[in-house]
Amino acid sequence: MLPMFQATCATHRTRLVLFRRYSSSLGDTRWPGWQPVIGIEVHAQIKSREKLFSESLAAIDGQPNTRVSLFDAAFPGTLPRLNPKCVQLACRAAVALSSEIQHRSAFDRKHYFYPDLPSGYQITQNYAPLAKGGELRLRRFDRIVRIKQIQLEQDTAKSTSDPKAGKTRIDLNRAGTGLMEIVSEPDMRSPEEAGAYVRELQGLLRCVGASDGNMDEGSLRCDVNVSVSRVGEGFGTRCEVKNLNSVRFLQSAIISEIGRQIQLLESGRAVPQDTRGFDEDSAETYKLRSKEDAPDYRYMPDPNLPPLILDQSFIAQIRECTPALPAVTLARLQSEYGLTLRDAEVLMSIDAGSEVGFDGEPSPGGAVRYFESVAHGRDAKAAVNWITHELLGQLAARKESFAENPVSAHTMGELIDLVASGEITSTSGKALLRYIIQKKTTTPLGELLDTLSLRALDSSSDTLPGLCEAAIAALPSEADAVRKGNERVLMKIIGWVMRQSGGRVDAKKAAELLKERLRGENGGSAKDA
Amino acid sequence: MIPTRLGATPRLLLRALNRNVSTTTECLQRIAALDQGEGGVNAFVSVSASQEEINQPSPSSYSSPLAAYPVAIKDNICTADLPTTCSSSMLRDFRPPYDATVVRLLKAAGADIIGKTNCDEFGMGSLNTHTVHGPVINPFQPESRRSMAWRERERRSAGGSSGGSAAAVASSMCYAALATDTGGSTRLPAAYSGIAGLKPSYGLISRWGVVSFADSLDCVGIMAKKVDHVRKVFAEIASYDERDPTSAPEKVRNHAQALCRTRMEELGIEADRLSTMKGLRIGIPQEYFPSELSPALLSNFRDTIKKLRDNFGAKLVPISLPSTPYALSAYYVIASAEASSNLARYDGVRYGSRVSPDETTDTTRTSNVYALTRSSHFGPEVRKRILLGTYALSADAFDNYFLQAQRVRALIRADFDNVFLTQNVLAAPSMPLSDSLDSRVDVIMHPSAIRTAPPLSETPDSGLDSYVQDVLTVPASLAGLPALSVPTGYDESGDGWPVGVSVVGQWGCEDMVFAVGAAIEAQSRNDIEP
Repeated sequence: MLPMFQATCATHRTRLVLFRRYSSSLGDTRWPGWQPVIGIEVHAQIKSREKLFSESLAAIDGQPNTRVSLFDAAFPGTLPRLNPKCVQLACRAAVALSSEIQHRSAFDRKHYFYPDLPSGYQITQNYAPLAKGGELRLRRFDRIVRIKQIQLEQDTAKSTSDPKAGKTRIDLNRAGTGLMEIVSEPDMRSPEEAGAYVRELQGLLRCVGASDGNMDEGSLRCDVNVSVSRVGEGFGTRCEVKNLNSVRFLQSAIISEIGRQIQLLESGRAVPQDTRGFDEDSAETYKLRSKEDAPDYRYMPDPNLPPLILDQSFIAQIRECTPALPAVTLARLQSEYGLTLRDAEVLMSIDAGSEVGFDGEPSPGGAVRYFESVAHGRDAKAAVNWITHELLGQLAARKESFAENPVSAHTMGELIDLVASGEITSTSGKALLRYIIQKKTTTPLGELLDTLSLRALDSSSDTLPGLCEAAIAALPSEADAVRKGNERVLMKIIGWVMRQSGGRVDAKKAAELLKERLRGENGGSAKDA
Repeated sequence: MIPTRLGATPRLLLRALNRNVSTTTECLQRIAALDQGEGGVNAFVSVSASQEEINQPSPSSYSSPLAAYPVAIKDNICTADLPTTCSSSMLRDFRPPYDATVVRLLKAAGADIIGKTNCDEFGMGSLNTHTVHGPVINPFQPESRRSMAWRERERRSAGGSSGGSAAAVASSMCYAALATDTGGSTRLPAAYSGIAGLKPSYGLISRWGVVSFADSLDCVGIMAKKVDHVRKVFAEIASYDERDPTSAPEKVRNHAQALCRTRMEELGIEADRLSTMKGLRIGIPQEYFPSELSPALLSNFRDTIKKLRDNFGAKLVPISLPSTPYALSAYYVIASAEASSNLARYDGVRYGSRVSPDETTDTTRTSNVYALTRSSHFGPEVRKRILLGTYALSADAFDNYFLQAQRVRALIRADFDNVFLTQNVLAAPSMPLSDSLDSRVDVIMHPSAIRTAPPLSETPDSGLDSYVQDVLTVPASLAGLPALSVPTGYDESGDGWPVGVSVVGQWGCEDMVFAVGAAIEAQSRNDIEP
């Protein structure tokens, strides 16, 4: 009974959101009285080591035409062999999107002639996709976008045209790489929601290791369907804009399309159901072909590939090994470690996706895992501050990524312990961190402290009082100001002490001592008076 | 262990043990003498130079099951050492960079790959006339005409599409030959040429390296003079191959074989020895005797089954396979549809022949550029089938043609499963039928062809007449069942040319099919040396 109850809840919630979204979009000042409706097809390259149906490497780099098997080049007599890793990773994406993995799915051939398609057909899942249904929540917009289906398919080769030479070059390295096509329902109502959908999806795919999702490298590409209608009326005729490779272009393509379609409708003309491209320079869409010219792809069940049967135990296994979703990790970081939303988001934004390697294998990288091992048995707040402010700050200053971080979680933890115990000052800690990052050293911290003379000066010794006396003597007017109650000037005197000590004294202790001396004098004289 | 330095001697010793088998050198000599020139057979399109070049003997190969047996390979099966043209101008100069799995397995079993055989272009044809290499001429000469010089014999088809393989075996240019069979391309030429030819159960022999015509129907066929020789080659190449996604896993093939062996034990049939088969139930399907069937072939068939009943104790059971009349149409829709898809890769971009666009070509459309190569390098029969298949897959025709044909295919499969005693291990377990097992059978038999080898002068270039040749062979292809054509002598009352009958078994029941085939062979006249 429980699942049914939950389903009812979900429907109810969707309805509520639907209602809200209509009422909110009435207020879009860019196109008052008009309602854009947007759906997106995302093609995401699967982060598998090998291609979808061949054993050649799927990585997109490499010299042109070096990662090509006989099958990829469609040599006569070659046959496809389904890479189970691609299925597993696409299923992870399905799990992440609450999409229902189908017990039986099947592969079809989509036919067209083009030099980037060596066999003359693309193997895809037209009739029976891998997963159906699902949803993606756009946190910022409080909107739920329903997923229609997820299907597996082959990527094409890459063709590069050189109009000057009148030549098109073909690189088969990409041919046959596994793609997931993730099709949304037309549930978005503004360009910004569309952008948020792609970003959210990107984060999700990276998190579960299904795809790198890099739009600039082409591992995530979008086709977008746009229609407009007058508020309160049924959906208009949609146009598809193909091959958008950044969120910015996606949004400007949608804006351009909305404008164009409204203009057509306002002038009393109908919107023809076109397939369109996007010109990045003019930020406008242009017609590729009309509905009448739409190619007949002659879909045919692939006679070489038996249906893909996934049983419950397989699906359960996928659920088990799918890494936690961003929302779950975010909640866990806040509840378990007491991090603020901001800190948690910062951690999660660092090198997203590097938590998972090729073929879904766990990899050592990733800032969240780093944080968790540093925070283990320590003050989580201190750990996150050290990582997000100091470590990331210094790496960023050197233009180095988190993946290049030379400070092991163990070392980072030790360093925090040294500061916490007062063995070194926080200033020294930062200097030490900078030194390790600069030199990429693995020398034990203890040794480094001695070499760099960073050990804190014992505040009970004579050094600190001596330094404070010297500071007061060196900065008489500042000392006077503090005596008169100007607390802010105290910082200047502390700074002098710190500089003189090479940062090895505890600034707090110095402040206390200086206050005692100056206010003490002050207080004493007041008492005397 | 025989030391390597003895060179070829052990191979000759081995030869001596197999007197019936010509050596590779002898076969090469026969090819040189009989294959080319006026009246030559034209079975081979490329030949290995010499025995030494074919197979550098290694000590381990002496004990291999097919050690030094000369085997020919149909030219649509990839070989790294010899061109693979598929008898098409499109692949005239194509040399695959790899061996098909079947070729690799044959080499591993010690066989000498002696050459590549002529065939219909990409396997499309029933007479081996649609070939860039010219037609294969059947080597057979009827007894009544033997006064005439062999090279001036009557020019008849060797059947197709594996006509070259059949003719090579029939004229002793090799011990055995690999063929392919999509709708009868092994069985028909075997029948026309008076040899044995097996289309195995779909999925038992790897298709990796076999140039696709229609993937869901294509099988590697085996041809030899004797059923036992076919079985010997089958044993070497029928194994699971992870490179072929349609290859039946070990578990499935073992299961089918176990069911088959159990039934054979019940009947007292031995797998590798001629034995009585008392109680064996042979189904004679009423739909397999169309009006086109030549009366002389019918009487030959009657004689054959009577002998099985009288001499071997088999029981003849009239059966019905009611969907048979729709099989030919369904076959041509499915085969053409898949062909149109599989042959899309021949575009002149990466390999094969190419016609480059000139200044008159409108290169703004990809199709205009592709059309140049595809129009000039595919033959007329291939072009016709691509067009048919393209139409069958088009959005408007898909439901009425392709899907309808798939439905018919399912009915054909069900027809067979309804009559076989042995369960089809590939089919979902079904309720036992209410009708008694009295109507169930172990194997089905029918004439392999509707006539003897047609004269080449009569063969229609196009039109549906040539497709009728396949009417008896396509149902087993659609159902993926093993079917063996066995020579049953000659059309004594007619033209005196070879005749064959086919034995069809349940999926994976090759053992039973071979056993029945061997019994048929044992009581038939077969002496066709040219």
